[in-house]
Amino acid sequence: MTEENFRGSRLYTDPWPPLRGDYQVGDPRSAVAVVTLASPLLIKGCAIFGQCVTENLGLEKIVANVISNCNIRFLIVCGLESKGHLPGNTLLALHKNGIDPQGRIVGSKGAIPFIQNLPPEAISRFQEQVELIDCIGLLDVEEIEALVARHKREPFSEEPFLVFKRKAPIRAIATGDADLTLGAGVVMDASAWLVMEEV
Amino acid sequence: MFRFKREQSVVNLAGVRMGGQPGELASVLCGTIFYQGHKIVEDEERGLFDRAAAEKLVARQGELSEETGCPSVLHIYARSSEAFSRYLDFTEKVWSGPFIIDSADPATRMAAAALASEQGYADKAIYNSISLATDEAEARAILDSELDSAIILAYNPTQPGVEGSLTVLETGGAAREKGLLDAARDMGINNMLIDPAVLPLGSGAGAALRFSVAAKARLGLPVGSGIHNAVSSWPWLSRKEAPAKRGCDAAAAAMQLLAGADFLLYGPIEMAEIIFPAAAMADILVAEAVADLEIEPADAHPLHRLV
Repeated sequence: MTEENFRGSRLYTDPWPPLRGDYQVGDPRSAVAVVTLASPLLIKGCAIFGQCVTENLGLEKIVANVISNCNIRFLIVCGLESKGHLPGNTLLALHKNGIDPQGRIVGSKGAIPFIQNLPPEAISRFQEQVELIDCIGLLDVEEIEALVARHKREPFSEEPFLVFKRKAPIRAIATGDADLTLGAGVVMDASAWLVMEEV
Repeated sequence: MFRFKREQSVVNLAGVRMGGQPGELASVLCGTIFYQGHKIVEDEERGLFDRAAAEKLVARQGELSEETGCPSVLHIYARSSEAFSRYLDFTEKVWSGPFIIDSADPATRMAAAALASEQGYADKAIYNSISLATDEAEARAILDSELDSAIILAYNPTQPGVEGSLTVLETGGAAREKGLLDAARDMGINNMLIDPAVLPLGSGAGAALRFSVAAKARLGLPVGSGIHNAVSSWPWLSRKEAPAKRGCDAAAAAMQLLAGADFLLYGPIEMAEIIFPAAAMADILVAEAVADLEIEPADAHPLHRLV
């Protein structure tokens, strides 16, 4: 499922989208992706559409799947907000303001708006590659599909950005005294999950 | 199985005891009613619902609780304060045990805590939850209420994993000036139930299992989780038939209990039919596994009722 642009390089990763989630893929050559927030809507004509109800992990998947396809230049944010979490508000804030050094999305009103699995370059790329269309609250599928059909633009002029899944660093965990016993002279350090013979 | 060196505290919530060493007390099982998309709810904003159907679900959780010996808690989810008010009115007529106050909307949670206090149910109510999202206004509302029980959500997006979750409880880490345990004490919370916040499979769901053991060893407080979230958010499983989903739900519940959990937020209350037998079986296996570690199962434990 690859396509080549005028420079002979790929416009989206293979496979695309790289991350699994609660979405459906349409035409990957479309310039538009649609996030329907808490509303289960079926949108035709776009590259990808799906719901997003969390203001952290859900957003990360959207960003990763969008920037891995240079054809996508617009992201329509529609449907009803997920109360309290406010992923729509948070997505707009991420695009506008980015994150602070702790990973908090600047200006978000969501409950726990943090990015933990995307490098800063992925967020910059998201800001550069796509334009966000704020239609939060819009539920009319025909109107959303008309918006999709109206938005066209040349593909983004860089390579697809593939966000590698960040593996937790393997660190040696300091072991202390055994704090639980399994009997028969076997004990365990519960923080490290280190099982050992009682000394 | 194992026994913790640190003394394990037991909290008493309206007669339901939770905590202790693995194998000592039966697991406490919390089924959610009026959750988002619950078919018995006709109007989520106003809290209109099919009372007969709701009554049947609550009664069935109670029956299974009585039969197995696993105590239960009613986990009430409300979209608005108006809805919570109707749900509380219903709850007081059909449920005598503890209940959890929950909403994605902080204003609803705050109003619910105030209402539960006004109506004299503060000793039965568990606030869900105190977390990094708890701001000054919400902290003040909890303090001003008469509630003294809460779930403490150890989600730390700045430092994923077990250490990060413990850090947010103990010191707050990079995300908060004060640890959530001290913050909860400042809000008048004495009964703290620790929940690691279960992420989707592939995003770190498994950390909840190691966290449960580590948190009990380090803090000595009751620990549990909504491990069913890992199952319900798994796209691969969502395309499978109901038996596969039920099997995974039961397995996830049993795994969390094997990892030392004292309570389960087991998801939709309809799942009671699957979760109570699975949890009772896990409780019996754990109790038998620690029988020679000087741990005596309580009188009402499934070990004494079902085998």
